[in-house]
Amino acid sequence: MTIEVNLRVNGVDHAVEIQPHESLGRVLNGRLGLNGVRISCKEGECGACTVLVDGEAVTSCIMLAVQAGDRDIQTIEGLGTPDDLHPIQQAFVDEHGFQCGFCTPGFVMSSKALLEATPHPDASEIAEGLSGHICRCGTYPNIIRAVQRAAEELGQEATNE
Amino acid sequence: MSEQQDYRIIGKAIPLKDAVDKVTGRLKFSGDIRVPDMVHGKILHSPHPHARITGIDIRRAESLPGVLGIVTHQDAPAWEWENCWHNYGGRILDDRVRFVGDEVAAVAAESVEIAEAALELIDVEYEILEPTFDPIESLAPDAPQVRAEGNARPPTEVIWGDLDSGVEMADVIVDASMAFDSQAYAPIGRNACTAQWEGDRVTVWTCTQTPSEMRDAIARGLGVPISNVRVISQPCGSSFGLWWIGSLQLITVLLARKVGRAVKIGLSQEECFATVKRRHLERSTGRLGVKRDGSVTFIDLEHVHDNGAYGLKPDVGFLTVDLWGAGPHGRFIDRGVSTNLVTAGCMRGVGDVTMGAFVERLLDMAAVEIDMDPLEFRLKNHIRAGDPLRAMEGETLDQMDLASLPDGWPELGKLDGEALSDCLIRGAEAFGWNEKWTGWGKPSAIDGPKRRAVGVATGVHSCGTEDEYPVSALVRVHADGSATLHVSIGRQGQGSETTQAQIAAEALGIPIDRLIVQAGDTDAAPPSHGAIASNTSYRTGFATWDAALDAKRQILETAALQMGSHAPDDLDMRDGVVFSPSDPAVSLTLEEIMSTYRPDSMTPPMILGRTSTPMPPSMMYARYFAAHFVEVEVDIDTGEIRLLDYVATQDSGTVLNAKVLENQVIGGAILGAGFALTEHLAFEPDTGRILNPGFLDYKVMRAPDFPLDPGVLFGDSHDPVGAFGAKSGGEAPTTAPIPAISQAVYNAIGVWLDIPMTPERVLEALGKI
Repeated sequence: MTIEVNLRVNGVDHAVEIQPHESLGRVLNGRLGLNGVRISCKEGECGACTVLVDGEAVTSCIMLAVQAGDRDIQTIEGLGTPDDLHPIQQAFVDEHGFQCGFCTPGFVMSSKALLEATPHPDASEIAEGLSGHICRCGTYPNIIRAVQRAAEELGQEATNE
Repeated sequence: MSEQQDYRIIGKAIPLKDAVDKVTGRLKFSGDIRVPDMVHGKILHSPHPHARITGIDIRRAESLPGVLGIVTHQDAPAWEWENCWHNYGGRILDDRVRFVGDEVAAVAAESVEIAEAALELIDVEYEILEPTFDPIESLAPDAPQVRAEGNARPPTEVIWGDLDSGVEMADVIVDASMAFDSQAYAPIGRNACTAQWEGDRVTVWTCTQTPSEMRDAIARGLGVPISNVRVISQPCGSSFGLWWIGSLQLITVLLARKVGRAVKIGLSQEECFATVKRRHLERSTGRLGVKRDGSVTFIDLEHVHDNGAYGLKPDVGFLTVDLWGAGPHGRFIDRGVSTNLVTAGCMRGVGDVTMGAFVERLLDMAAVEIDMDPLEFRLKNHIRAGDPLRAMEGETLDQMDLASLPDGWPELGKLDGEALSDCLIRGAEAFGWNEKWTGWGKPSAIDGPKRRAVGVATGVHSCGTEDEYPVSALVRVHADGSATLHVSIGRQGQGSETTQAQIAAEALGIPIDRLIVQAGDTDAAPPSHGAIASNTSYRTGFATWDAALDAKRQILETAALQMGSHAPDDLDMRDGVVFSPSDPAVSLTLEEIMSTYRPDSMTPPMILGRTSTPMPPSMMYARYFAAHFVEVEVDIDTGEIRLLDYVATQDSGTVLNAKVLENQVIGGAILGAGFALTEHLAFEPDTGRILNPGFLDYKVMRAPDFPLDPGVLFGDSHDPVGAFGAKSGGEAPTTAPIPAISQAVYNAIGVWLDIPMTPERVLEALGKI
C-alpha cells in the first residue's frame, strides 16, 4: 500500500508516493536525494538527521513522512549555498565547529531553531539546546563558539534591518 | 625552542579545505556513493559465540525473486589476511564462527529489503563449541582455543636495570590492580563499501584510513595484480582506528565478483558497534617504589589485553614506559589473549590510554604515601631530553642500518626534546593548580552530598610507527600553476587534508587555495602508510614536505633554464611567484613558468615532486606529550561525577593549524573523559553478545557533559625532523583524561576506581550499594 503525500521541502512542493511506515528522513535522503539529511542511528539519539518542520527541530529518522505532509520542511540544502553561506554555516566554518562533518547539518539546523527561539543564548543554553546531538569527534567547545558567533552576527543583521 | 619563521601558511588557523562541503551537507560519505547498475548486499551474522558451520544451504535464499547471488565460506579463498601490527587477521569468510556477529554469508539483491529477507532463508547448521570470554581465564592452556595459533600471544617484555635493586632502594612500595572495560568506537557515521568489477579490475569506494594496505590485501586475497585494484577512500565520519581493512570490504569485493554487478554493502549502527572492532578489555597489576624525596626507584607492571576473536596483537603499545622510564629499574610485560568477543583493535591512544592510566595510578598512590603534590611528583620523574627511550631497548631493528642514516638526525634512542615540563608548568598556571590543590584525599569544597577536587595527569604517544609501508607523497604542478598533493591517508575528518595541504603549499611556495589534496585514491597516490599510529602529521607530513620541496626544486631549475640568466640556487618561490633574492628584477609567476616551453626540449615543463628522502625511524626517538588538569564534583548520593573545569596542554612541536590541533586535543580529551566516566560495552555473560550496540544505550559525551570553555595550551617546541618542526597530534590527548579524572575522584571521595567510573562503581566503592 502506498500513500501520496505532499512534502514541501525548502519551499518546493514534492508529491511523493510513500509507504506508511517510511520515515521522513528516509524519504528526504533516499527519495529526494537530500545528501545533508544524514540517517545514522535510526532511533532519534544522534541528531544527525535533524531537519526543521514548521520551524521546529525534529529527528527525521523517527518522524513518519506522512506526519510531515503539507508542513514546511527545511533541510540544510535550503539554508545557504556555497557562495552564500547562512551566518550559522559561516560561523561553523570560521570557528572550526566540526571535524568529520557528519553531524554538522543536524547541529546547524538545531542551532537555527535555537537562535530563533533564543536569539542571545549563553554557553549553557547552547549546550543544553544542542544536547540532542552527538559530535563523536568531540568538537563541542567550538560548536558552542560558532553558535555564539552566529548569534552576534544575526543580531547585527537584525539591528541593521 | 620554536624558530621564528615568516611562514605564509604554517601556523595559520585556516578553515578546513572541505569546510563548505561540510556545512552545506554536500560532502559525500561512503554511504552516499551510488554507481550505475548497483545492487545491494547484506551480511548474515552468527548468533553463536563459537561454532563450526557443518552445513549451509542457500537454495531457498537464492530462489527468492530479486536475489542475485550469495557468498559463503565455500566462495572464500583459503588465504588469511592480516592488518598491520597484527590488529586483525583471518579468512574473509570461515567455516568457523568466533563471536556473536561474526560473518557467515552475504547476499546481493535488487534491494536492501530483498537482501535482508534472503538472509532469513539461509539455512545454517552449527556444531556448537565451548566459548571463552574472560581475558584472564582465556589465558589458561585448557581454555577453549579461539584460534589455530592458540589464545595466548607470546608476552612482550621491556626490562631494564634490576628490579631487586629497585625494591632495595625504595622507601615506599605501592601495589595495585586496575580493570578497564571495553570502549566502543561508536562511530556516528556508518561505513559502506561499493565494489565494481570491470573484467579483472575492481574499483572500491569505502572509508579506510589505510587505502594502500587495503588495495594490497584485496589484490592478494582475490588473486589479481595490485595494479588491478583501485581503492578510493571516502569519508564516513569519525574513525579513531575503526576503519582500516575489514570483512566489510573483502566480502563486498568477493560478492561483486560472484554476481557480476556492482555491489554496495552499507552497515547498520548495530553492525558498526558490534561486528567490526572495539577497544581491548584490559587488566593491569603492578607495583612501584619511591624514595622519600619522590624519585621513582622501579616500576613493575603486568598487563593483559583481550584481542577478541580476530585480533592478534602481542602488545598494545609501550610508549608510557618511555614517559616514566627515567628511573633506574623497570619491567613491563604485556600479553594478548584471544576471546570469543568481537575483535579488539587499535583504538585512538591504544595502550597508552590504559597502561598510561595504570602507571599514573601507581605514581599517585606512591605520591599519597610520601605526601607529595602530584604536579611536583610528575615534574620530578617524567622523561627529559637525552633520557633513554626504554620501549626501544632490546628491540631488534633488523631492517635498519643506523650508520647509513643521513648526518644531522637526532641521536636515535634518546628523547630529542623537552616540552612536557613546560606543558605541566604553564598548564598549572592556567588552571590555577596551586590555588585549587588542597592535598591528597581532601576535597577542595563540600556542598551537601557534593565533593569537589582537582587532578593532574600526563600522557604520551608515538609520532608514528614504521611498518612494511614507507611514507610517500606526490606533488603534481599543473599548467596553470595549481597543484595536487596525492597522499594515501583517507578522509576521517581530523583535519589532516588541511594540514598536509598547509605543509605542501608552504614548502612549495604557493597559496593554499591553489593546491588540493587527493587523500586516498590508490590509482594516483603512491603506496604509503595510512593515517594510523599518529603517523599523519609527523611521518606523512615529512613525506609531503619532501615531495613539495622536490617539486619546487624542479620548478626553480625550469625557471633558471627558461631565463638563462640565473642559477636555480639564486631563485626562490613564494606565493606562486619565482623571485631572486639578489635581483629584484626577477618576477615570474608559476603559471608563466608552467606555460612556457623548456628551451632544451621545446615541450611544456613537467613537474612531479616525489618523496625521495627516507625518513629516519621515528619510533626510535619521537614522542609527543599531553598534560591535563581537571576539576570534578562527585555526588556521593547519586554517584555521578561532573567535570567542572578542564585545561589540556600538549607538546606537538610546531603547530600547523591551531584550530585543527585544538579540536584534536579537546576531541581526544572528550573521548578519554567519556571512557573515564560512562563509555563501556556491555557483553551478555553467556554469549558475549553486545547488549548496547547503539547510542540509545551506549552513552557518549554530549555538549553539556564537558566543560563548555576548556583551556588549551600548546608546548613551545620544534621537532628537528618533522615538517616545519611539527610532531603528531591526535592520540596523546586521549591518554591523560582517565588518570587526571581518576586522581581528582580520589581526592574528592578517597577511592580508586576501575574504568569507567560509573555512578554504580562510585556507590559500590563507597559501600552504598
